[in-house]
Amino acid sequence: MSTNRRMRRAAAVVAGIGIVAVLAAGCARGGGGGDRSDDGGAAASPGIDDTSITLGITTPLSGATAGPGTCTVAGITAYFGAKNAAGGVEFGDGKTREVKIEALDDEYDPQKAKSNYDQLKSSVFAMTAGLGTPTNRAWREAATADEVPQALIMTGDPIFSSVEESPWSLGFVPIYQNEGQAFGELLASSGDEHKVAILSQNDDYGEGYVEGFKKGIEGADNIQIVKELTYESTDTSVDAQLTELAGSGADVFFDAMSITPLVISSLQKAQELGWLPSWFLPSNTSSPTAILEPGGAAAFPGVYTVAFAQSASAPTFAESEAGSTFLSDLKQYGNYPDTPAFPHCVWSYQVGATLDQVFQKMTEPTREDFMKQLRSVSGYTAPLMLDGSSVDTTQDGQPAVSTVQVQKYNGKGYAPAESWG
Amino acid sequence: MGTFIQLIVDGLSTGSVYAALALAIVLVNQATGLINFAQGGMAVLSAYIAWALNGVGLPLIVAIVAAVAISFVLGAVIERFLVRRFERGDPDTAVVVTVGLLTLITGVCAWIWTYNNRQFPSLFPLDTVSIAGAVVSLRSLGTIVVIVVIMLVLQALFLGTKLGLALRAVAVNPASAAFSGIPVGRHLMIGWGLAASLGAVAGVLVAPQLTLTPGMMDSALVYALAAVILGGLTSPLGVVVAAWLIGVLENLAAVYVPFIGHDLKIAVPFILIFVVLIIRPQGLFGRRSVVRV
Repeated sequence: MSTNRRMRRAAAVVAGIGIVAVLAAGCARGGGGGDRSDDGGAAASPGIDDTSITLGITTPLSGATAGPGTCTVAGITAYFGAKNAAGGVEFGDGKTREVKIEALDDEYDPQKAKSNYDQLKSSVFAMTAGLGTPTNRAWREAATADEVPQALIMTGDPIFSSVEESPWSLGFVPIYQNEGQAFGELLASSGDEHKVAILSQNDDYGEGYVEGFKKGIEGADNIQIVKELTYESTDTSVDAQLTELAGSGADVFFDAMSITPLVISSLQKAQELGWLPSWFLPSNTSSPTAILEPGGAAAFPGVYTVAFAQSASAPTFAESEAGSTFLSDLKQYGNYPDTPAFPHCVWSYQVGATLDQVFQKMTEPTREDFMKQLRSVSGYTAPLMLDGSSVDTTQDGQPAVSTVQVQKYNGKGYAPAESWG
Repeated sequence: MGTFIQLIVDGLSTGSVYAALALAIVLVNQATGLINFAQGGMAVLSAYIAWALNGVGLPLIVAIVAAVAISFVLGAVIERFLVRRFERGDPDTAVVVTVGLLTLITGVCAWIWTYNNRQFPSLFPLDTVSIAGAVVSLRSLGTIVVIVVIMLVLQALFLGTKLGLALRAVAVNPASAAFSGIPVGRHLMIGWGLAASLGAVAGVLVAPQLTLTPGMMDSALVYALAAVILGGLTSPLGVVVAAWLIGVLENLAAVYVPFIGHDLKIAVPFILIFVVLIIRPQGLFGRRSVVRV
């Protein structure tokens, strides 16, 4: 009897949820754009009116990737917070709008990212800045089908930067292949014989770096890869891999990792083992204060990384005008009191500045015009960019930023490395 | 040969991290009959407290002792005002409460200290010594020694002291324990307090290695639970041996068993659990529970 009652109650709950879902879907459809307005101009897309525009973000705000994820929201919120406080952003259609941001937590879980997107798609004008390859991939096809912009997202996966494959998407940061290739080319150009050991994350991230590196050393007979291992992003330790790699006799170590504590412990482990090769680290795990100092990186003959943006944790950063403006915006509007240990705060601040450029070009408040203008920014030097890097969204197959500089750790921060050694 | 020994030593060192947390889980279980999924989160909170006290100028060892004491109080308070409401009810509800507690504590840590990685100073020097061709860091050795000491103390507590016996009695049958004159509520608080203190020790041992973040213990908790199941829920000695076994076998399998490799090594503890549970459902060192009818 009680089982029957429980069954009936469960059925009622399921039916209730079903009704709510149908109603919600109906409401969502009502918000669709693309019609012509009464005055003959293009009708505004969802999430924009004459005084404001709303942007959506899905990114990890809790869990293992929460550090970079919260930084991502803080950076863009800081940029537009300062803009809003100064009166708003001037659009190409002559109107000045306040930029609002709605950020949801996806815990780096693709399924949650997709459901966040579903929740936001009809109330925001565009999705932007969110961090993560698997999470952004989870709703890429839906964004394409719904014609919702997935603009300037934080992933180095090339799929987002191909117009044919992802007409409504565009990545911001350089693709992993570009970073790996830049390092490979620098090493090959040294002319000396080098043995390389590689440890990479067992997913698109690690594979992209290794692919790029191999392309960079193609045809160079002075470079030999002596050992290649992988690790899982869920691992608590990579000591066993380091022990194995140390035995390979490599003098260069390519550590394609995205997990901060594991990079620190691998720097420490190599020193314990007495293995002191030159290191290469990806741009998102090479922070001088958060990783290299605690890892004791000064013990190695050279630690290299690639970058396009200044590091907020470099000693001279806060003294520069742009740096101090960034830090005070981040504190005041981004609700981020500390100097960030992750580069993602600076990157998403630059995403904000790039979107500002796009908004200035938009003559219609539509997603179609936004995408058109998004692909027309060229030679724009966003705040805090390194000399030689710029935003160029016009190259098909490349993200907004594709030029990177190889840099070498000098014990405190980084200096450009034009040659090896 | 050098590599082989190195892998074993590294495995013992990683295993000790899992063991520290596993011991705290066993302690709560022995004292209250619950599995506390928030144990990792509580250990992180304790480590943050130690870090903050160290940051305001207390010497590291004083900061750690203070954090251990504060954690005892916190653990007892959590038991008294939160967990007790669910102790007599459905055990599933209590599990959900501890999972919720984990989320809450992680959120509180992130809110106070953000997700930035904090470098926690190590109790032990970063130097290394060479043992039979393997390089062993003093930090790893120190961690292993501390774990062994805690294990022995706990083993003695449960098997050789009145308090230990009372704690176990309260966990197994609170009603009978109360009839025998044991103040049940106070013992439950003591059990949680002790486990929180032990968690604090685990936290400060692990933090220098993993760097302090709110989610620091998340992955370690999975391994710790594996060690608890494998070693037997009732045996401090068992969980430490199981944690070491997991650490060492994982390393060896990754390097010497080609089809496992570094990518599949996370499966090793779970295969081990399946095998052990089929042969010995109570775990390697656990006691079989007998119900008198």
